[in-house]
Amino acid sequence: MEYFLQQLINGVTLGAIYGLIAIGYTMVYGIIGMINFAHGEIFMIGAFVSLIAFLLMGLVGITWIPLALLLVLLIAMVFTSVYGWTVERLAYRPLRGSFRLAPLISAIGMSIFLQNYVQILQGARVKPLQPVVEGGFNVMQKGDFVVSLSYLQIIIVTVTVVLMASFSLIIARTSLGRAQRACEQDRTMAALLGINVDRTISLAFVMGAALAAVAGLMFVLYYGVIDFYIGFLAGIKAFTAAVLGGIGSLPGAMLGGLLIGLIETFWSAYFTVEYKDVAAFSILVLVLIFRPTGLLGKPEIEKV
Amino acid sequence: MEEGQPTRPDRPGPPNRMSLLSVSGVHTYYGNIEALRGVDLTVNEGEIVTLIGANGAGKSTLLMTVCGNPRPARGTVRFDGRDITRSATYDIIRRGIAHSPEGRRIFPRMSVLENLQMGAITGDPAHYEGDLEIVFDMFPILKERQSQRGGTLSGGEQQMLAIGRALMARPRLLLLDEPSLGLAPMVVKQIFNVIREINEQQAMTIFLVEQNAFHALNLAHRAYVMVNGRITLQGTGRELLANREVRAAYLEGGH
Repeated sequence: MEYFLQQLINGVTLGAIYGLIAIGYTMVYGIIGMINFAHGEIFMIGAFVSLIAFLLMGLVGITWIPLALLLVLLIAMVFTSVYGWTVERLAYRPLRGSFRLAPLISAIGMSIFLQNYVQILQGARVKPLQPVVEGGFNVMQKGDFVVSLSYLQIIIVTVTVVLMASFSLIIARTSLGRAQRACEQDRTMAALLGINVDRTISLAFVMGAALAAVAGLMFVLYYGVIDFYIGFLAGIKAFTAAVLGGIGSLPGAMLGGLLIGLIETFWSAYFTVEYKDVAAFSILVLVLIFRPTGLLGKPEIEKV
Repeated sequence: MEEGQPTRPDRPGPPNRMSLLSVSGVHTYYGNIEALRGVDLTVNEGEIVTLIGANGAGKSTLLMTVCGNPRPARGTVRFDGRDITRSATYDIIRRGIAHSPEGRRIFPRMSVLENLQMGAITGDPAHYEGDLEIVFDMFPILKERQSQRGGTLSGGEQQMLAIGRALMARPRLLLLDEPSLGLAPMVVKQIFNVIREINEQQAMTIFLVEQNAFHALNLAHRAYVMVNGRITLQGTGRELLANREVRAAYLEGGH
């Protein structure tokens, strides 16, 4: 029971991070129907920018942790958004209207480029970060086994929930969100109503990148080490999460992220750590066989 | 030009005859297919102008070309005195054109109300409530169904929604592509009444593409006939209604 509870806490935390990245995949897929394979790298850049920003905070003497965290968060979101925007502008927009695989290939190229770019700039070695947020609660104790919930885990889950809620609200209620959904459903018509479709697409990349930056910050805080390669596996997992939840669906991405986090954590806890990725991807295969649109993705029922 | 037959007088033209939309020498291609082969056409402020023609004549292409999607290969499109030939679609729309396009293109996974809100994005927010009321008065069914998803509406309701959505922009020029397509005769009548109403009451300029030539010619101040991407005939609505070629090609054996 105690062990289970601890794994649940860990799984939810990991799921929150995956969910934040998955939103970027699902949004871009929803609006232009392509898998942005460079999105994992955007997350990795978010992690690096966070790390560098933390070092800067130390240099300029901002030591009050909440302020430092907030500033790092903002810096990471801004820088990473610029990367997201630029990737779309350079690698995808010129290919819009060409054959379907072109942007996909371009995305893979962008992914490789960004990995190497960070490797050259930051080196291939693992970068550590001193623990920033320490401490936590002991939820329960039984014998030697302590179930702990760290402050960091609380922060990660809280920030994720707040971000996802406000993000869902933006998409559901604001004119900006309506423009996003309009472009998702019919780009030609959206333009015929006066929407600048290119800008709306850019905005989807920027929003996805900003959320990936938050995930990057959490990753670096949670694991304490990063390298130029973290975007690959995290990206694939988040992509899996998005597909599992139903690609194109925002709640689906969140649910998928949570599930992948939980599956991975519980598999590692009760079976073998080595096969945790196999477990996550096997679930994906099963879902796709029995429910090809994902858990929350709905098949289109539209009158003509 | 305004002289019709004595027994069936022309609808009186609006006082203002400034050209609002002028299309000259426009050629548009879809790939290698030349869909428009040098179209010249004018819509004056306050008029209802209709363009009739068979399926595939290029009517819808002309409306879309006015909106900049696709762009014409040659020729110019001017709106309100400005050359908009090379402008982006959203930019053209923001100058005061609204289009209710072929196939209606209702956002299927948005509510009826959201679809109408989408129409209002280029408009002045101060007019939003009032315009919504006008649209709901015109099409009470839309008010009833406002929280329903657009994709679940019937064809006629979708057509009303498409027109309502275009009206929400308070355009200076309203483009309507086959508003009567696939609708029951009663609904067709209602839609044509609405078009006349908005033209008369809001002084909105309307450019209407129709296959239902009888209704359209009756309604329009002026009309054009398009065949294979070219304008072959033009005149007042009444003139074309009386024209032998038009009668043979578009009016006999129906309506």
